Amino acid sequence: MELTRDVQMDLHRRMVRIRLFEEAAGRLAEAAKLPGFLHLYVGEEAVAAGVCTALNDDDHITSTHRGHGHLVAKGGDFNRMMAELMGKATGYCKGKGGSMHISDLSLGMLGANGIVGAGTPIAVGAAFADKYRKRGQVAVAFFGDGATNIGAFHEAANMACALHLPIVFACENNEYGEFTRRDRTMAITDIVDRAVGYGMPGVIVDGMDVVAVHEATLGAVARARAGGGPSLIEAKTYRFYNHHGVQNLGLKYRTDDEVAVWKQRDPIFSFEERLIDVGTATAADIEQVWSALGDDIAAAIAFAEDSPLPEPDQLLVDVYTTHTNHTNHTDHTSMTARGAS
Amino acid sequence: MRGTVGVIANPIAGKDIRRLVTAAGHTSDSSKIDIVKRCVIAALQSGADRVLLAPDPHNLATRATAGLGGRTAVIDSVVHGSRDDTVAAASRMWKEDVGALIVLGGDGTCRDVALGWPDAPLIAISTGTNNVYPRFVDATSAGAAAGFVASGAIDIATAGRRSKRIATTISTADGIVDDLALVDLALIEATFVGTRAVLDPAAVRVVVASCASPASTGLSSIAGRVHPVDRWSPGGVLVRLAAGGRRIRVPLAPGSFTTVEIAEVLPLADGQRVEIEGPGVLAFDGERDRRIGPEVRVTARVEATGPLIIDVEAVLLMAAADDLFAEREGDDAQ
Repeated sequence: MELTRDVQMDLHRRMVRIRLFEEAAGRLAEAAKLPGFLHLYVGEEAVAAGVCTALNDDDHITSTHRGHGHLVAKGGDFNRMMAELMGKATGYCKGKGGSMHISDLSLGMLGANGIVGAGTPIAVGAAFADKYRKRGQVAVAFFGDGATNIGAFHEAANMACALHLPIVFACENNEYGEFTRRDRTMAITDIVDRAVGYGMPGVIVDGMDVVAVHEATLGAVARARAGGGPSLIEAKTYRFYNHHGVQNLGLKYRTDDEVAVWKQRDPIFSFEERLIDVGTATAADIEQVWSALGDDIAAAIAFAEDSPLPEPDQLLVDVYTTHTNHTNHTDHTSMTARGAS
Repeated sequence: MRGTVGVIANPIAGKDIRRLVTAAGHTSDSSKIDIVKRCVIAALQSGADRVLLAPDPHNLATRATAGLGGRTAVIDSVVHGSRDDTVAAASRMWKEDVGALIVLGGDGTCRDVALGWPDAPLIAISTGTNNVYPRFVDATSAGAAAGFVASGAIDIATAGRRSKRIATTISTADGIVDDLALVDLALIEATFVGTRAVLDPAAVRVVVASCASPASTGLSSIAGRVHPVDRWSPGGVLVRLAAGGRRIRVPLAPGSFTTVEIAEVLPLADGQRVEIEGPGVLAFDGERDRRIGPEVRVTARVEATGPLIIDVEAVLLMAAADDLFAEREGDDAQ
């Protein structure tokens, strides 16, 4: 399917939004203006942008500890995101969640997650609800290669396939779990080899190519919406910074040469070259995108810095719920395995 | 080195988007490791002195040969996880004087091998998506045939046939680039290479096929349904597609049928030159490869200068006739 100019520019804009937000967050962390850990998504932008551009606004996603990019790609508000990272009351979680719990339910973004793999069963729950209520929505679970060694992923994949749910498992395989190479923790190289074991198709895409990711996601989402069940997309990608933070920690878990090779395939710059080459955009058009979004980032930083910290009496607010679910569904016959009753 | 069998296994063959949008099958690493292992054991049992394997980022070769003894070796070179690994490995196999080369992959993988070693003595085993060029052949038999040929026990001149290729020249303002396809070269109306797969029938503009069979899947099947060309006969066929043409149902991908509209069928003699005009994306052996602008001039010709295909069954029949399966001293130690 040929991509329209609007879609091409949308893919680019979402990647630039992520890059600018993450680079700004990194600089703020270096200046000790952000409390807590910071896991930057720089280098992996093509995955979140390519996937989320193929989704509807009311489709659900679950995220990871490296979750800013997913929320930005789903349309997250810079002001509320930056305020949350600074622990301010105007943030997405009123300043009490921080980087690894950032979420926006109105955008279908069900949350970043500090526990590796823990987002996958949440996405299965969303997909279950989507199917049960016949809403025609799709859920996407973002997770890393390391998460596929976690029990939660296997239970989620098994249940999703057993119930034939409308879900896409989007694996960001960046080759490292924190500071450990993938081949030190698993005997296989391709995560897709695991998909077959659960009874779903799995495909590999170049995670540095936003068009490739987008094309694959269109296929997976169309399949899910049509009742075809789950699938797994493995995007081969790379994070340009360390597991957390910005500074080079002097760790030897990967070489400078390896990082340099991947940076030569920068997903944004390589896409920009193609946009110019095919006549979709001029260099001036692209510069305008960076400039306008850069202004938005500056405004978001100012907004966050000017925002108040949460009051002490807010400590336990939103921690416990008083809501009781009185919904009493007695007809469960429509929700049998594979939708067959 | 005389008596050397080469093995190249493409680790990512059989894992692309077509598993998602068509009925293409998945070929796991473990399956490929088992295939390589069967090839290696059979080659060493059938006269090969050595099996040389291409390195790969999945360590398929290393894992397949673990415990098989000292007559196997994995080429010591850096791999990048790209098509270039296959091209480089094929070139290295030629320099190492490999007598028979086994390749695991699909049409695209075989093309990469031909780029590195244009007239390689080849046994191609299907582990890809579109498998027109490779054959569905038992790995143990393939390894045995490769062993007999590499050792010289069976003369490749009697058991091999020269395949065709589509020699392609791409002229741009920056210079001239030579390229090749083994099965089909196509012009796709597209802007990006993306996932590389050709899935939109309406975007296919031109197909040049060296072999076109109604029993095939993929772009060459379009030509195969209106003007079949045997893989061993000289020449090929060019098909142009346009709205309003003859409507034909084709399997553009495994288990995925669609309608294409054929506006022109042009039989091609051996070496006959044809021109393809951009803009669009050139697809070689079923994979979108590079975008060409309207100023780029592409010429293609089908010629019998491709790899030398080893007929596995023919080799083994000759081996039986020559009593090459008789037990020899030391067989149990292999």
